[in-house]
Amino acid sequence: MIKKMINKSASKSPWLFHINTGSCNGCDIEIVACLTPRYDAERFGFKLAGSPRHADILVVSGPITVQSRDRLIRTIEQTPDPKCVVSVGSCPKSGNVFKGSYGIDGPLDKYVHVDVSVAGCTPKPEAIMEGLYKAAQILEKKREAMSK
Amino acid sequence: MIILQYLFYILIFPGALFTIAAGLLLAGIDRKVIAHMQKRIGPPVAQPVYDFFKLLGKETIIPATANRAAYLIAPVVSFVSLCIVMLFIPILGFRAIGGAADMIVILYLITIPGAALIVGGAASGSPFAGIGISREMVTMMAYELPLVIILLTVAKKVGGDMLIFDLGIVSAYQAQAGSLITEWSMIPAAVAMLLVIPAEIGTQPFDVAEAENEICEGPLVEYSGSPLALFKLSINMKMIIMTGLFTALFFGGIRTGFVITDLIVFVLISTAVMLVCITTTHAITARLKIEHLFKFYWTVVAGLALVSAVLVWIGL
Ligand code: SF4
Repeated sequence: MIKKMINKSASKSPWLFHINTGSCNGCDIEIVACLTPRYDAERFGFKLAGSPRHADILVVSGPITVQSRDRLIRTIEQTPDPKCVVSVGSCPKSGNVFKGSYGIDGPLDKYVHVDVSVAGCTPKPEAIMEGLYKAAQILEKKREAMSK
Repeated sequence: MIILQYLFYILIFPGALFTIAAGLLLAGIDRKVIAHMQKRIGPPVAQPVYDFFKLLGKETIIPATANRAAYLIAPVVSFVSLCIVMLFIPILGFRAIGGAADMIVILYLITIPGAALIVGGAASGSPFAGIGISREMVTMMAYELPLVIILLTVAKKVGGDMLIFDLGIVSAYQAQAGSLITEWSMIPAAVAMLLVIPAEIGTQPFDVAEAENEICEGPLVEYSGSPLALFKLSINMKMIIMTGLFTALFFGGIRTGFVITDLIVFVLISTAVMLVCITTTHAITARLKIEHLFKFYWTVVAGLALVSAVLVWIGL
């Protein structure tokens, strides 16, 4: 019974950790907008965590600059399982307008499996919310696979 | 038989199970009400329960620089000490364990979670935790002084000529002479106690030690999985314990005659106390700096408590 409760809770209390890998700040503002009273992501249990050790969902924005690459990989490794990676914006997906720049070493799925990818420049808060919600469902599946 | 009875006290009521359930309930109400104050819908009231179970299911990472034993034992010590504190707090008419000086026992036991947080944070070996620890220590010193003065005032008020540190007698006195909150000389002490509670639990504006957007939750920065779950649970349990202590000290005179109804009234009053001193302050304030916190507690809060102490000592 406790095991069932743990599995069920995985999707109901996903804590976010936001990694900015050189984003233009557009996506970051929209992520913060999800937490404001208008969209209120907390009603699904989403909460911004202060440390990657507490996080379940890693929200990555930005085109992965060479400077931030190692930090990104280290932060992802520091997060305990089960975890999900959500990319926000077109930047982590394809490089967007920064594609081909000498300072960029993307895309994100070169380094880690991306569970949900929200496209757009910038994506609307509604789209980000949907992406996060889907990630929470994936989290539950991952937890079930872990407990087997 | 007596062993079974004590086991029941410690494990179920008013020990571990009750404290956990009531603490999680209060934390859920707290988050919901804050959300409504900010015009949000807010998480379901059961959200702290989900948080707890989710953390249980996470992987526990122990940093390579950490001292393994201290790192893992600290959350357990914090949890166990809080289970025991609740035994000493009278639930209006009902009292599980009593002694001649249980106020002093409570005073010692409620500092243990703070100390465990310091030990755990130090054992994790993170520099963020180092800053958090020093702040936690200053916070503890800051609220300890007013708390001691408040307890002394209550002891003097109830004892008359001598000091009485027995919460059972405090409760019986209030049942006879009316709750202490109705005495005007005790009102400054009650206000001081209301201000001590948020610092003890570590909510805004007094959450300097765990400032999550500044030093990544301080001592908790490296914790993950079930040790983190226990620490978070400890914080929730402290909510019912501190507000319960307030209820026992200042509203102890209410009697309904049955343990069950006593319990319900106790939880209701504790919730009301929480809404005043934790939820409202959290919703309307921003975080203080550590030196401001220290100054605030040793001047304003300690001053309020002292006013009460002087009034009581001269016999009002
Ligand atoms: S996707 Fe667009 S808004 Fe988002 S970080 Fe990239 S350029 Fe900025």
